[in-house]
Amino acid sequence: MKKLLGLLLANLLFAFGLNASEPIKAMKVLGNVSNLTPDSKAWLSASFSEVMLYPQTALIFFDKIANKMNANNEAKKVEIKALYDGKNISFLLKWRDATRSVQKTDSSTLYGDGVAFQFAQNYDNVKTLPYIGMGSEGRAVVIHLAKASEGVYEPNGKKDVYHQVNPANQNLFGKDLQTYEQSVENKKESEYQRNFIAQGFRSMTQIRDENAKIHMYMQYKNGFWEATLSQPLKTEYLNLDNGAFPIAIAVWDGEKKNRDGLKSLSSWISVKLVGKSGGDKLINSLSAMPQGDIKNGEKIALENCTACHRYKNEHTAAAFMAPNLSNIGGYATKEYLKESIEHPNAVIVPGYNIKAHPNYPWYTLNQEGKRVSTMPPYDWMDEKSKNDLVAFLATLKEGEE
Amino acid sequence: MSQRQLAMVMDLNKCIGCQTCTVACKTQWTNRNGREYMYWNNVETYPGAGYPKNWQTLGGGFDEAGDLQAGVIPSIQSDYGVPWDYNYDELQEGKELVPNVEPTWGPNWDEDEGAGAFPEDNYFFYIPRICNHCSNPGCLSACPRDAIFKRDQDGVVLVDLDRCQGYRYCIAGCPYKKIYFNPKISKSEKCILCFPRIEKGLPPACAQQCVGRIRFVGFLDDEEGQVYKLVHKYKVALPLRSDYGTVPNVYYVPPVDTPPKFDANGKIIEGSNRIPSSELEKLFGPQVHEAIKTVQNEKQKRKQSGQSELMDILIAYNHEDMFRLDTGYYQSLGLNQSVDNRYTAGKYASKLKFFAPSKEAHK
Repeated sequence: MKKLLGLLLANLLFAFGLNASEPIKAMKVLGNVSNLTPDSKAWLSASFSEVMLYPQTALIFFDKIANKMNANNEAKKVEIKALYDGKNISFLLKWRDATRSVQKTDSSTLYGDGVAFQFAQNYDNVKTLPYIGMGSEGRAVVIHLAKASEGVYEPNGKKDVYHQVNPANQNLFGKDLQTYEQSVENKKESEYQRNFIAQGFRSMTQIRDENAKIHMYMQYKNGFWEATLSQPLKTEYLNLDNGAFPIAIAVWDGEKKNRDGLKSLSSWISVKLVGKSGGDKLINSLSAMPQGDIKNGEKIALENCTACHRYKNEHTAAAFMAPNLSNIGGYATKEYLKESIEHPNAVIVPGYNIKAHPNYPWYTLNQEGKRVSTMPPYDWMDEKSKNDLVAFLATLKEGEE
Repeated sequence: MSQRQLAMVMDLNKCIGCQTCTVACKTQWTNRNGREYMYWNNVETYPGAGYPKNWQTLGGGFDEAGDLQAGVIPSIQSDYGVPWDYNYDELQEGKELVPNVEPTWGPNWDEDEGAGAFPEDNYFFYIPRICNHCSNPGCLSACPRDAIFKRDQDGVVLVDLDRCQGYRYCIAGCPYKKIYFNPKISKSEKCILCFPRIEKGLPPACAQQCVGRIRFVGFLDDEEGQVYKLVHKYKVALPLRSDYGTVPNVYYVPPVDTPPKFDANGKIIEGSNRIPSSELEKLFGPQVHEAIKTVQNEKQKRKQSGQSELMDILIAYNHEDMFRLDTGYYQSLGLNQSVDNRYTAGKYASKLKFFAPSKEAHK
């Protein structure tokens, strides 16, 4: 009876551990999807898939008020659909947000709602996809980010000295001054959209390619944000022209002062280009549930992980000693979890600035200047134990809000 | 830690709160393009809420274990104060003079208020504040993008505006709240110790323009320099709030001879001191007593013998002696080009053509 109960419980936990990991089906259309907006009619020909986003809890940042606001974040359900025309692909993401928050040009304390789509530069091997948090060394990701913000004009970077002078400091009056102010107004760029390439947290670098045909739009309607990303299937940085490719999504809630790592993010999800063959391995791998004894996995975690890692109600470890695992099951793939247990050096999460928490570095530098994780490898563990541990870690995530 | 470290010493006994430094900095760097509310240099009255309002209570800095503490990001509207102007144009139409923004706070809002009861024991003194160009900067450690760096050649702390994404954790991490968010360009900006001037052998604008000659600038390792002598030889210059753990590189000669208190009959209480020593200890640490004693002893020595190197330095007979910037050093590094020449682009603003409307600019 006890055994049966244990089995039932394990099954229950399995059910709880379920990911919305069915592939997103990108439907092929005849028209051109290179620059769709949320209002484009083309979207009628595709249906939404659900994706769960989990609060980023591996690190906490230094904004006291924001930390308080985000302490009890739960998982968010978002909806996504995709279309492709053979040359371009477009995504439409829809998520609930009770307030429309916009970053304003006269405030130091307001933050805009935002959205980002992340792609892996190389996804040939599903076991070594980039780390979900902006990739990792040797495993680059491309990120497209849009934020709701008031129009801005940045004269400094454009060597435009004339327009950086304050109107009050211009010796212009009356109509001349109005003309000047209008010319500054006209130069405002209203869309905040950035493309980045990154090989790990802290390494994000902006792609400044004026010819990049990447378009993002954000639109707020009836309590929901709708955002689109349209781009060529093949760019200088990315090749998505395969049967399937992985995508990850993040959204920011400006109302809760979300920015940077204060966000909700998904795990890697597969996108299937319907009508194009291949990619089954990726889809199957990202859809499959981890197999293992969750209860035994928890026991292993308590014995092996909690000395350094915190998660949920396990707070034995010193703060800042290692990534907090509270939502690791939400945004990490089972392949990543297993790889990290066996080979902690395969992906090194740089974490905090070494001077912010100097007593607990997450990595050290070896003689060649290469990063070495401070986590010891657990490659000695038998296969079953590793699988059980992965199955348990996959259950570590918040419930839906 | 950088290889060499530039430092500034400010003699609070000579600061008259005239704000010439503030204006020098403002006209040089912060009167435009989203920086209007910022004061990279400000002079505040102590005791007082300061600028931004109550900055000493807003967190940041390191605890004893060395962990960076979370902090609060001040608001332009309520903590820094929105710069306001008046409707001068409309006065000729008979209108009343009104500000365009209801002023609620500003950089010098509580000027000369101080503490205590007049005339018995009221007191205040001025503290000019710039970025401390710390050896262990809170702003740098808080940045998740590694956008803030400390120059190896002189320890100046700068923001790489290319990497900065406007997350504002730096403001939370800096216990002095001396790094600011530019909401127009959505990036953080701060005092750059006038590095384009420094590299040419000129002192920062705030120090150059100081009418009270309170500011000394030089390398901390230059044993011939006055900065070294004040900080290391005589130990009369102390960092502000070193308990924050950021190892600041701006030092202050604390107020030495403060007037005595009066009793209820208006008579001087001999031996009393209007500035409570607890306040001085809070700002400058327990070493403050030793520093004050040293200055007093040297003053006495000077009175009796006519000789005191320390007094000669503090009197500052020649303004240029207060700055030892070693242009040869910068030239030897090949630093003819500034790290970020977007800042120096503004130097042409003094040329008339940029102040006159041109067809080109209106396109």
